[in-house]
Amino acid sequence: MKLSIERTNNIAVVGIPGEDLDAQNAKAFKKAVTPLLEENLNFIFDLSELNFVDSSGLGAILSSLRHVNNTGRDLKLCGLSTPVRALFELVRMHRIFDIYNDRDEALLAYQTSTDVVELT
Amino acid sequence: MKALILAAGKGTRVRPITQTIPKPMIPIVNKPVMETLVDLLRSNGVYEIMVNTSYLSREIEHYFRDGSRFGVDMAYSFEGRLENNELIDEPLGSAGAMQKIQEHSGFFDETFVVLCGDAFIDIDLNLLLRKHRQKGALATIALTQVASEDVSNYGVVVTDDSGKILEFQEKPTTEEARSNTINTGIYIFEPEVLNHIPKGQVFDIGGELFPSLVASGASIYGFDLPMQWLDIGKLSDYHKVTQMALNGSIRGFKMPGRKVSPGVWCGINVSGDLEKCNIIPPVYIGGSVTLEEGCTLVGPVMIGQGSVVESDAYIENSTVFEHTRIGSTAEVKNTMICGDYAVDASGCVLDLEKMGIDWAVSDARRAPESISYDQQQFLNLIDVWTETEREEVSYSRVID
Repeated sequence: MKLSIERTNNIAVVGIPGEDLDAQNAKAFKKAVTPLLEENLNFIFDLSELNFVDSSGLGAILSSLRHVNNTGRDLKLCGLSTPVRALFELVRMHRIFDIYNDRDEALLAYQTSTDVVELT
Repeated sequence: MKALILAAGKGTRVRPITQTIPKPMIPIVNKPVMETLVDLLRSNGVYEIMVNTSYLSREIEHYFRDGSRFGVDMAYSFEGRLENNELIDEPLGSAGAMQKIQEHSGFFDETFVVLCGDAFIDIDLNLLLRKHRQKGALATIALTQVASEDVSNYGVVVTDDSGKILEFQEKPTTEEARSNTINTGIYIFEPEVLNHIPKGQVFDIGGELFPSLVASGASIYGFDLPMQWLDIGKLSDYHKVTQMALNGSIRGFKMPGRKVSPGVWCGINVSGDLEKCNIIPPVYIGGSVTLEEGCTLVGPVMIGQGSVVESDAYIENSTVFEHTRIGSTAEVKNTMICGDYAVDASGCVLDLEKMGIDWAVSDARRAPESISYDQQQFLNLIDVWTETEREEVSYSRVID
């Protein structure tokens, strides 16, 4: 899976391509994103292209969060479409992630956060 | 007075609910909307009711049968054909339906009322009839007002001061609309109106019959009468109407079940101690429901019969359809939900069958399948994070 990646300071914004993140491509997503998550950065996943996410997709996003949290870094989400947002709320994922309307809002949140994750 | 209930539509704007039930059979809490219309007709002294059916006709015909259980006489005009053991629907339009019945038996031999079968209506039909007779009208429509931004969903009607109809506009834009007065689909006709409906073709009352009546100078009137008219045109309407029923805002609507505490009604065979749940009224709990200790229901909430609400599940301002299991990690807000789909208040539909989130929402009649490794990993992760959330949130309990 080809992810679009934009690095700004110590934050990487990752655009997830295609309309679906599901059982068909969740493994490919994890394979593509895992090496990136190893980098000493904070992350934003931009989901604005996605219209359909299933439990495999949810699991892939959640395991990314766990991966970065293990080393004191953070992952925020942005650009959730209405159905994806509705799914997140149904399974309570919206209580685990910081979710923003777009990349700019998510980036701003990193800059103004009082709990800015310090990267050594 | 005799009646025709129009029940042949497909209800495409209320999908996916109408995939298995026709729009007139959509229940308001426990009662199909069309049954409220039969009640209305009977209470206004109308006892002979024809119903045109097409899409999912069996659902309607098998529920009402000959009407005797409802204190009226009912019969059906099926629009379609049987092919390869399958019923194919071929609707004729609202006016085409009238003509087909007339050609069959001359049923409409006196003043008759026509109602669209997919709205809750609380109107004094005899008042409308008196006004119809006072004007010597061929046709009379009950009108109501809607907000300017909503006119594009309806047929707009323009009348003069005496109530004579001058013009119809079918679903105009807000800018084009010449008034905010709309056609509610409640009509009173004289049998002579059938002379204006062509035979053997699809013909619609609002879009074709009335414009031709206006053009021919026929005596047709419209009156804005005091009434409650709740149209279930789209999914968001249905959500709103259910909330109104639970809030006691629908005139004459009686909550089913027994009132177990202020604002909480229950059917029979409900399993679980309501005192060990967090319940904020108004809430209706259907028969044979299971409520596990610690679940939260913030009204208005309806739990359909046979459903299961697991502990720690959170349900607010929502309708849970019958036989649905809501899992411990689920949070259902402003949504109508069953094992196959969820629809939020704006009408956004989630196909839950495809999403594989059985641990959160599923059909309660399905044996719990073993969770896949991936799903279990997901649940483990969710559990760690939401434990803190559960401790932080506190809800008030129901007070006896």
